[in-house]
Amino acid sequence: MRRFTWFNATSLTLGFAFLYIPMLIVIIYSFNESKLVTVWGGFSTKWYGELVQNEAFLDAALVTFKVGLVSSVIATILGTMAAYVLVRGGRFYGRTLFSGMIYAPLVMPEVITGLSLLLLFISIGLDRGIVTIILAHTTFSMCYVSVVVSSRLVSFDRSVEEAALDLGCTPFDAFRSVTLPIIAPAVISGWLLALTLSLDDLVIASFVAGPSATTLPIKVFSSVRLGVSPEINALSTILIGIVALGTVTASITTKRAVVRRRHEQQMAVQAG
Amino acid sequence: MNFRRIFLFSIPYIWLLALFLAPFLIVLKISLSDIALAIPPYTPTLDLSGGWVAFKDFFSQLDFENFTFLASDSLYWKSYLSSVQIACISTFICLMIGFPIAYGMANAPQEWQPTLMLLVILPFWTSFLIRVYSLIGILSQDGILNQFLLWLGIIGEPLVILNTNWAVYIGIVYTYCPFMILPIYATLTKLDASLLEAAEDLGCSRTSAFWQITVPLSKSGIIAGCFLVFIPALGEFVIPSLLGGSSTLMIGKVLFEEFFANRDWPVAGAVAVILLLILIIPIVLYQRNEQKMMEAKK
Amino acid sequence: MPETTPNPWNDPTAKPLIQFKNVTKRFGNFTAIEDLNIDIYEKEFFALLGPSGCGKTTMMRMLAGFETPTSGTILLDGQDISPIPPNKRSVNMMFQSYALFPHLTVFDNIAFGLKRSNMPKGQIADRVQEMLRLVQIEKFANRKPEQISGGQRQRVALARALAKAPKLLLLDEPLSALDKKLRQETQFELMDIQEKTGTTFVIVTHDQEEAMTVASRVAVMDHGKLKQVDTPDRIYEAPNSAYVADFIGEVNIIEGHSTTQRDTVSIAWAKGQPEIIGTLSKPGMDGNVTFLIRPEKIVISAEKPTDRRNTFQGKVVDIAYLGNLSTYYVQMPNGQMIKAQAANSRRRSSRPFTWEDTVWLSWTDTAGIILDR
Repeated sequence: MRRFTWFNATSLTLGFAFLYIPMLIVIIYSFNESKLVTVWGGFSTKWYGELVQNEAFLDAALVTFKVGLVSSVIATILGTMAAYVLVRGGRFYGRTLFSGMIYAPLVMPEVITGLSLLLLFISIGLDRGIVTIILAHTTFSMCYVSVVVSSRLVSFDRSVEEAALDLGCTPFDAFRSVTLPIIAPAVISGWLLALTLSLDDLVIASFVAGPSATTLPIKVFSSVRLGVSPEINALSTILIGIVALGTVTASITTKRAVVRRRHEQQMAVQAG
Repeated sequence: MNFRRIFLFSIPYIWLLALFLAPFLIVLKISLSDIALAIPPYTPTLDLSGGWVAFKDFFSQLDFENFTFLASDSLYWKSYLSSVQIACISTFICLMIGFPIAYGMANAPQEWQPTLMLLVILPFWTSFLIRVYSLIGILSQDGILNQFLLWLGIIGEPLVILNTNWAVYIGIVYTYCPFMILPIYATLTKLDASLLEAAEDLGCSRTSAFWQITVPLSKSGIIAGCFLVFIPALGEFVIPSLLGGSSTLMIGKVLFEEFFANRDWPVAGAVAVILLLILIIPIVLYQRNEQKMMEAKK
Repeated sequence: MPETTPNPWNDPTAKPLIQFKNVTKRFGNFTAIEDLNIDIYEKEFFALLGPSGCGKTTMMRMLAGFETPTSGTILLDGQDISPIPPNKRSVNMMFQSYALFPHLTVFDNIAFGLKRSNMPKGQIADRVQEMLRLVQIEKFANRKPEQISGGQRQRVALARALAKAPKLLLLDEPLSALDKKLRQETQFELMDIQEKTGTTFVIVTHDQEEAMTVASRVAVMDHGKLKQVDTPDRIYEAPNSAYVADFIGEVNIIEGHSTTQRDTVSIAWAKGQPEIIGTLSKPGMDGNVTFLIRPEKIVISAEKPTDRRNTFQGKVVDIAYLGNLSTYYVQMPNGQMIKAQAANSRRRSSRPFTWEDTVWLSWTDTAGIILDR
């Protein structure tokens, strides 16, 4: 039996306090009436109002969202293809290089990725803007997608695909009607990961963004450098809220599905 | 079938060749070039219209001057050393904080575990920038932490934390802690509880069973967690530039400034190349640890 | 198999459904199948039996189309099937892991192959219903695979593979995931279904009892080669090698030197021991031979029997009580160990022999098999 000791309870409490108190404080102070960020001046939602009227932030948010959507979709497609080739492709010429290029961006410092992509865009004469950000984000997030999807592909029984072929599917048909539905959860979480990484990225975007396109993190970074501001608190609260809502919903849905499945399995055992 | 395979394989392959490998080779090349007052601000540039002579000429102009410059200017090797030092210290603090959390999670009642997992993962999905930002208000001179400590009477006057290396340590620990907790938690939950019972049955006290059984068997998780914190911490840019002070030397920040402020692309390229060479060691060690874990699973 | 059905393998004019002709399969340096020839006839229930790694699964995967032979040809109905991809073959397979599609219901799993065969929609539903009835899982048509038990999953896998009415059904260790009781029941059902549908079944198994129970013919394989292909009773009673005899059931192996006298053979096997008398299975067996005898064909007694010629004295060194039978390990004066089995026909009788007892082992002239060495 595992024992849940006082020591365990204390370290969990302190640990989670450490992880969550800073964010809680940001949320609380986003409702602060006072412009001074360390003094409580009463409850107010005025900073949200100012945020909504801040054109620069809204423009940057729009750019970020467009980049995130486009790059995550392309990254999901490319990453899934790459995962399929890596796991199911057998041996081919240049496989080591290929898998190296999939894993390297995961550990590559962002400053280097950003720098190298910028130098590429300059040397081929591509103007910096929304397109270059999309290209950059797609490149590093497809690697994350590929890792997530390939771990699912590795764990699922290959004979299921063979069964589809055996029952008359062409290889493409087998992929579409059997493999894809089975790996769909991994593809979706890969896509969410790609989207989050893109929305979140500051360093790479700073390198490859031009004056024509600024993303929200770049905007936030430049204003945060000047210190804490209640508007940023409000923005942070909104972003934290979206993430928390999304994550909690997702986990509740999967938990419900697990409970339902367990219940049905019990029924099956009793019936059979 | 075969055509489809080639199609499937070549698109991501070509993408990565063009947007990952090629840019990196360009960095390598620029690190061997010289700074110039031109657009782009370095020389030589490869002009293929010049034919073979121009090609040979191009190569003859490349040299290791930037690397010798890096070695001679103390700013650079000091930044490398200080990056490694900061990453090491933060990783160690992360382990000291992360292990008890992971251990507590693994020992927690079964029905809590999904929620606890969620609580660890949630910050990871939250914007990195916002998490770093949230520390500014806490660590600043008139921030919450100082107000709290003053109110408790522990300190007489506010501590200077923000814009020092301490803030950088706190920032790295705060943002990368989930990377330490998750692999350790994963190995701890796989640990067979009957091993601890067997150890106690054979005369171990509970504390010595922890040190003799639990810690050695979670070694692979600890190693994985350490590398997952150390590797990104080494090249970190956001944390030192928001939380660190002017005396905080981290190579990611130096590179960024070299490129944008000084516009010295060749030196920035050389800085990047050296950083990668330093990173290869922990990456190879991490890979080896992962492989060992995979083999142990089989 | 019953004598009423003619045995096509004994009929030289019968046309085999499947022919392996000099088939070899290599994976790199490893030879999985070596120069293999075999004929399998229509409506047979054919078992490929052997230890793991003997090449039986490779043979099956070549039939299904997931592997191609390195050399040689495989004919189905007289047609070379190696250029035909798995999805175009009239061969279906039941996978060891069942390989049910987790995202589809039982009904859709069974209908999966039919939907890819230009069958009109109305007929598909009828055919699926027929299959569900055949394997008795009508109740579970709308369940997902994870919502049914292992035994039910096994039935779904069978129904799915049979739905397209293939010429040939391949079963890869179909019962290995079931517990023993269920496995035995299912063996008979499989035979029933095979008979009802008239499909040719090829089953791969490492379980000799299963192969003996279900199959009309058994092929014993080892290291990529066929050791013997024959009916279960012939495999058991007339193995052509010590390997086959040892793989199927238990056997005593005694090596010796034989001399022929008219139609009997006497085998000198140990100094100071009477020779073993046996009957000749083929002419000219003088020289070094192996004598094989099954433990249940040896009678163990306290007194020397007088009605048979092969009698040997030895000492009981071990007894394995198996409930229905007991196996006695008897040591001969030269050290050779011989196993003899006796049925425990009476309850509660004290054991007739015990450790260290001196006993007589005896058998008739025709009880053993003599093979060249």
